[in-house]
Amino acid sequence: MQLKPKALQPNATNARRRLIAASCALLGAAGARSQQANVAPADSGLLEDWSVDSALAYYHEDGRILAIEPVVNLAKVFADGQSLNFNGTFDSLSGSSPNGALTSHTAQTFASPSGKAAHAYTTAPGQLPVDPHYQDTRIAVGANWTVPFTRVDQVSVGAKLSDEHDFLSATVSASIAHDFNEKNTTLSFGIDNEYDSLHPIGGAPVAGSDYALAEKQTGGKTKDGVGVLLGVTQVMTRNWLSEFNVSVDRFKGYLNDPYKITSIIDSAGNTTGYEYESRPDQRTRKSAYWENRVAWNSPLSTALSLRYMSDDWGIRSDTALLHVRWSLSNRDRYIEPTFRWYRQTAASFYTPFIPSTAEPTTGYESSDSRLGAFRALTYGVKYAQKLPGVGGRAESEFSIRAEYYQQTFAERVPVPAGLQGLDLYPGLKAILVQIGWRF
Amino acid sequence: MPDERLIVEARGENLLAVRFTAMASPCEVLLPSMSHHAALAIGTVAAQEAWRVEKKYSRYRDDSVTAWIHENRGTPIEVDEETASLIDFANQCFDLSEGLFDITSGVLRRAWTFDGSDRIPEAAAIERLLPLVGFDKLQWTSPYLLLPAGLELDFGGIGKEYAVDRAYELLAARDWTPFLINFGGDLRANRSPPHGPWQVGIERPDTDREPTMLLDLESGALATSGDSRRYVLKDGIRYGHILHPSTGWPVLGAPRSVTVAASSCTEAGLLATMALLHGDRAQAFLDEQGVRYWLLK
Repeated sequence: MQLKPKALQPNATNARRRLIAASCALLGAAGARSQQANVAPADSGLLEDWSVDSALAYYHEDGRILAIEPVVNLAKVFADGQSLNFNGTFDSLSGSSPNGALTSHTAQTFASPSGKAAHAYTTAPGQLPVDPHYQDTRIAVGANWTVPFTRVDQVSVGAKLSDEHDFLSATVSASIAHDFNEKNTTLSFGIDNEYDSLHPIGGAPVAGSDYALAEKQTGGKTKDGVGVLLGVTQVMTRNWLSEFNVSVDRFKGYLNDPYKITSIIDSAGNTTGYEYESRPDQRTRKSAYWENRVAWNSPLSTALSLRYMSDDWGIRSDTALLHVRWSLSNRDRYIEPTFRWYRQTAASFYTPFIPSTAEPTTGYESSDSRLGAFRALTYGVKYAQKLPGVGGRAESEFSIRAEYYQQTFAERVPVPAGLQGLDLYPGLKAILVQIGWRF
Repeated sequence: MPDERLIVEARGENLLAVRFTAMASPCEVLLPSMSHHAALAIGTVAAQEAWRVEKKYSRYRDDSVTAWIHENRGTPIEVDEETASLIDFANQCFDLSEGLFDITSGVLRRAWTFDGSDRIPEAAAIERLLPLVGFDKLQWTSPYLLLPAGLELDFGGIGKEYAVDRAYELLAARDWTPFLINFGGDLRANRSPPHGPWQVGIERPDTDREPTMLLDLESGALATSGDSRRYVLKDGIRYGHILHPSTGWPVLGAPRSVTVAASSCTEAGLLATMALLHGDRAQAFLDEQGVRYWLLK
């Protein structure tokens, strides 16, 4: 039986050949399956290999604006590390928008900016004057392109365009990021330039002029802004990422809201007239931002961010935002409660009304509540569920988010006796519901 | 709950590793330097495939296909396409190894505990298990399977290598950059990164994870089988954890570890496992196959 080992030899070599055939059958079958999966999205053509983030938001301010907003974001990362990103938003807003005038014990009648008599509106006594015909649509598109040009440096350029029927805004931006310390630290520097063109309906009012005289200017108005940002991102530990940045931006030009007016109130509390608002034609904002993302353990991670902002109009604001993400069942699902706290001080020229006894205003004034002192709390929760992928992708994700926003005024000025009993600071409540699908 | 985190870290000047854990093993995808965002996008594809295969075939999960097959012993069931191709493959491996490679041999582990002690099971305990071993006891006409009572299927012997090859196909189909997939020491690369071939260390299984050999790998697959720290030592005989399916006893005289290079990880893994099953004939077996291999005795 000396021959036996030799007899085995061809048999054994055969073993490998048969194993190769078997492996090919196994992996070939798998390959064919993955190929099928890759072929499937051919219908979607352009979308192949792009990750798509889509969402539909419903936003409703109690008694005021209603907005429906579909958003889509397309992103692709190329093999060489370049990435391309496109996004589009369509807003449809309708409802009532405060015009700036103060609540009164008597009915108040206003002309709509369109100037058509049919669009004049009357506010009942005790009600906050709002323009009930507010209607706008906004379409915004943006693109961003990131290119790594060395192993540790990348540049990014982007552009945004936003269009409403009386407002057009264009922004270009560029940034550069440098990684060092084994890519644990990233320094970034960015700059952007925004150009806005306004064509208020019925013309832009002369700032500070009497509403009844309807002094309007023909032609459009513009404003433009430049911003710079310097940031550092640091991987602190395996589970902790920290980001800090400071930014400055400066706007110049027509910074008024052309539809906002301020009530003139006599010493008895009666409304004797209105004046168009008048803001400075420059604004410089500085802000600092610090964010910490921590993965505590397998199911729990948090992101806490703090922002401080101050501008030369006298507004200072603080924001704290906390996201807590709790992953469930093998990370197929997560639930993410969110809490946001915000407060701001008023602009130096903010006033809810102009006393008629005051000298005719020569300076700036606005009753726009967004420039007043207020606090706001937002409570939210998001639920996301992973679903089987479509078009050859490993998975998709469905999410639903709900938020409740509550704004309250922080300062109240003394008012004439005639205004007692009126809710001059009605605050604001809003809800947001957003459903999203990422695939 | 398995840890499904991905960690990106630099490996020297020119490489990035996306690390994660799957199939109870440290896993990673090595890439040339790129943005962490891009590396994560690539690593996620490989990790999700590893987790998918683990979830589908794990012996330790009661929602796996393996568990479902076991629950339906004695009943003919129709398995899905992927499972069918894995059983077909196991069938062919059983045939071409003349019964040495057998995915039903896992039940023998009930008798053996390879904890470094000197405890050897009673012969009678092994004898009682032997009737439960034998791929030829299965009734298999793809895709219909009838698993007799008492038998177990264990895809653990091919799962990790299969997952490497599946992840490889997914990444290669996307025309990504050079990459090396390493799931617990079984690995496969598509091509060299710009700064020279991948450097792969082969660990000595019985020492403190000190790589004993550094290999240059441009493309292809490497898989390692070994008895690592899992053995029983009795009367000076070392019984490794590779069990012979027809005797129920460890194969004697096998190398501590066998590493094989082949075009796919599945093929490399099977050759390495079959070599160990040949015991003291392991080297002869590998020579006959005409493959590159590395033995640690």
